[in-house]
Amino acid sequence: MEPRWSYKSSVWPDWCPGCGNFGILTALLKALEELSLDPSQTVIVSGIGCSGKTPHFVNVNGVHTLHGRAIPFATGIKLANPGLKVIVHGGDGDLLGIGAGHFVALGRRNIDVTVILHDNGVYGLTKGQASPTLPLKARTKSLAKPNIQQPVNPVLLALSSGYTFVARGYAFDGAYLKNLIKMAVQHRGAAFIDVLQPCVTFNDVYTADFYRKAVYKLENDPGWDPVVKTSEEASVKLMRAVEKSLEWGDRIPVGVFYVNPHVSTFEERLGERLRNYPVQNPSNTPIESAGKPVLSQEAFEKMFKEFIVRVSGTQGR
Amino acid sequence: MKEVGILLGGPQGSGIETSMWILSRVLVSKGYGVIADREYFSNITGRHSYIQMLASSVKPPRSLKYPVEILASMDAETVFTHFTDISEGGILIYDVNTSSRRIDEIPSMEDATRERVARILSDKNVEPSVESVVKYLERDKRILPLGLDFSALLKTLSEQYRIDARTLSRFLSGIIVSSVAVVLGLSEEAVVQGFEQQFGERKHLVEQNTALYRLVRDALSNHYGAVRLDEPGFSMEKAMVVTGNDVVAIAKIVAGVRYQSYYPITPAADESFLLERYDNIVDETGEVVGSVVVVQTEDEIAAVNSAIGAALTGARASTTTSGPGFDLMVEGLSWAGMNEVPLVITYYQRGGPSTGQPTRGSQSDLFNAVFAGHGEFARVVLSSSDHLDAFYDTIEAFNIAEKYQVPVIHLLDKFLANTVAVMPVPDLGGVRIERGVLAKGGPGYKRFSLESLISPRAFIGARDTVMWYTGDEHDEHGHIAEDPEIRVKMYSKRIEKLNLIQRELPLERKLRLHGPGSPDYLVVGWGSVKGAVLDAIEYFSEKGLRMAYLDVKLLWPFPSEEFLRITGGIPDSRILAVEHSYGVNIAELVSMSTGKRIVKRVSKYTGRPIMLDELVKGLEEIVSGRRERVVLTYGA
Repeated sequence: MEPRWSYKSSVWPDWCPGCGNFGILTALLKALEELSLDPSQTVIVSGIGCSGKTPHFVNVNGVHTLHGRAIPFATGIKLANPGLKVIVHGGDGDLLGIGAGHFVALGRRNIDVTVILHDNGVYGLTKGQASPTLPLKARTKSLAKPNIQQPVNPVLLALSSGYTFVARGYAFDGAYLKNLIKMAVQHRGAAFIDVLQPCVTFNDVYTADFYRKAVYKLENDPGWDPVVKTSEEASVKLMRAVEKSLEWGDRIPVGVFYVNPHVSTFEERLGERLRNYPVQNPSNTPIESAGKPVLSQEAFEKMFKEFIVRVSGTQGR
Repeated sequence: MKEVGILLGGPQGSGIETSMWILSRVLVSKGYGVIADREYFSNITGRHSYIQMLASSVKPPRSLKYPVEILASMDAETVFTHFTDISEGGILIYDVNTSSRRIDEIPSMEDATRERVARILSDKNVEPSVESVVKYLERDKRILPLGLDFSALLKTLSEQYRIDARTLSRFLSGIIVSSVAVVLGLSEEAVVQGFEQQFGERKHLVEQNTALYRLVRDALSNHYGAVRLDEPGFSMEKAMVVTGNDVVAIAKIVAGVRYQSYYPITPAADESFLLERYDNIVDETGEVVGSVVVVQTEDEIAAVNSAIGAALTGARASTTTSGPGFDLMVEGLSWAGMNEVPLVITYYQRGGPSTGQPTRGSQSDLFNAVFAGHGEFARVVLSSSDHLDAFYDTIEAFNIAEKYQVPVIHLLDKFLANTVAVMPVPDLGGVRIERGVLAKGGPGYKRFSLESLISPRAFIGARDTVMWYTGDEHDEHGHIAEDPEIRVKMYSKRIEKLNLIQRELPLERKLRLHGPGSPDYLVVGWGSVKGAVLDAIEYFSEKGLRMAYLDVKLLWPFPSEEFLRITGGIPDSRILAVEHSYGVNIAELVSMSTGKRIVKRVSKYTGRPIMLDELVKGLEEIVSGRRERVVLTYGA
């Protein structure tokens, strides 16, 4: 690659001025740069919504997919080419509304993918409907009536789904968020960051002002240690993280809630089934030579012998 | 006899399928052709399931017929459900312990079926008990009832081998296999080989089933060879005995599929199961040369989209499903069309709408496969008309997908999926793997370059290459672009690939004409109706009526020009269409694509396969001018 790669693409980010997405994008770009990730071996996968445009603004591979489906795309990309660094960006409507099933599934599998949630409490690109993280009775400015649905707690959901790295950041604390992204990307397994993101246009309840006052860092408590040192202490650490995840309102914790490096990744589990995986993987195995299948007639008949019947014929044959 | 029809019936989960496999392999090892259709409910244990088989000494059979020469029943429900399926002079094998069973004592029977059968019995003045049915068959239909005492046989076996009484039901399949084999006069040696192939390492099962075979043979000693097949009149040295699900999975391995995602659904899931069993691909020296990542996803949405993701990295990727699952995949299909992704969806149709008939067959999703998805984009829809066809078509589906960078739907059905057939071992010598125009990428790479209709494809992960994909309209780099000029170029580029496909695909990939070029009547159809239609044509040709069959292999883009060329000399009134659907929708597709109007249609939508006999009658009705539309309904 070029001596100094610009991780920022030439595409103009068309978010509203003051949007929390700018903070997230800046932190992401900085994290990629500090990790000096090879742009050709890095993929940003997004869903639909304001956050969905993120890959276009970043000069690494980008796959802008369907509403709620970034995780399945990312799953296929990562499992087919496990050498890639895969980062998913999605809003709370995308990842926790329409795509909630996939969000849970990624945790269960513990695939080595990072998920960054742009959590702004509204559906921005459709002009401010209530989204899955907006609390009950909250009334943001485009709502005709207060929100009638309970919110989902992203950190709690990630913890209970099996993500092995769970953190929360704040869009306008760029340096801190950048560090969280770096940790998440370097974590081996499914990593999740809930990013509190003001929506200047539609969310007049959870504003930058609100977050500035409410947010505090977990590590302010010198005793806070989210990292599971041995598998035995996993449940204790998980319970502590769960308890912390319930804090909301005047005081909202950010930082790393939970890290468990002792859970096998899906790729490792596949490696137990598939003899040469991940070294040999779907993206790099030759499937033909000079236009012929890699399986010879002899290998084919040997491999599928259970389906082949030799004909002995009837009497005299 | 030249051919023998056999029907095996019993409760789901009692080993009917095992019986089918063993008998099929035994018959093939003796040089006979076999086809076996499996009919079952959406149920694991207890509902009536049956196998309809045809064994032939003349050729590998391609269709089923009724009535059958042998009905082997495990239970009373089978006798009641199928007693009208036995030919005059045929054989009924049944369990004498069910003799006193009456039709109203069978809880697994659906009310509608019970009432229907009871009505038939009452019309014939037959008491609704097994005993009376057996007497009626013997007296009025000259059918030979062979009553076996299943419990006594199993008791003897259990005493001999000290088998736990609770596991004895596992040997019901042994009784069915043995009794049919005895009636067909198949040697002990052949039957034992069949047991060996079925039970493999479980030697005790081979031994115990062999003992059972001897017990059954002794009990039926007077009827050994009562129905004999002629010496096989065609030669095969070896053959494959496979279901459609098996053959597609096997072909995918040959095709180089390295990523398959699926969500469990009937009748598609068995294909992925098989792939998972063979996920390490070994060459002749035992070396692993590749592996298939098989992922059971959380739903069909994830299945299709993860397969697309895998395809973006250069892997040959596919997913497999049936109607309900395909419906969930459609948004992903549209994304694949927009992003020119070589994705293959193997689509096994079953009876709809909604959950419909989850375990029965259908061809009613033709329009769904051809038209589903918002927006306009190029896709290819292929059909396969038998097992061997499905093998080569599966490989071709990936070649087309990659050469033209389009999603390909391989449209199959439950009949093919679950039918066991004998086919020649495919010759890999003629198999080509074509990956289309590939690029190495590099700085400035444009994934959607407008320099050619097919933009050279680099894979995500290519060295020094960065690329973008988006479901939005995009520029050559894959960035969102709404400029009208780009819109026109990109939109038309994607669709115009259809013309290229039309131009480049050879005729045999599009249409296959069976029979004379200028026939008296032409039957048009696709997929699994072929076998029955070809056999019907053969029947008519013996009667002096020249009929031909046009098998539509390429359903989309519809090969209009070739279709018109082939049918040009035939008046519309002499063209008929056959399909497993209400509408016989292929006729509408023809009409839309060519302007030719096919009015005469044979339809079946019971979910059961089209039988040769009913098709012949249906075609006769139409050819004679008595009717324009015939609906077939045979089968329990």
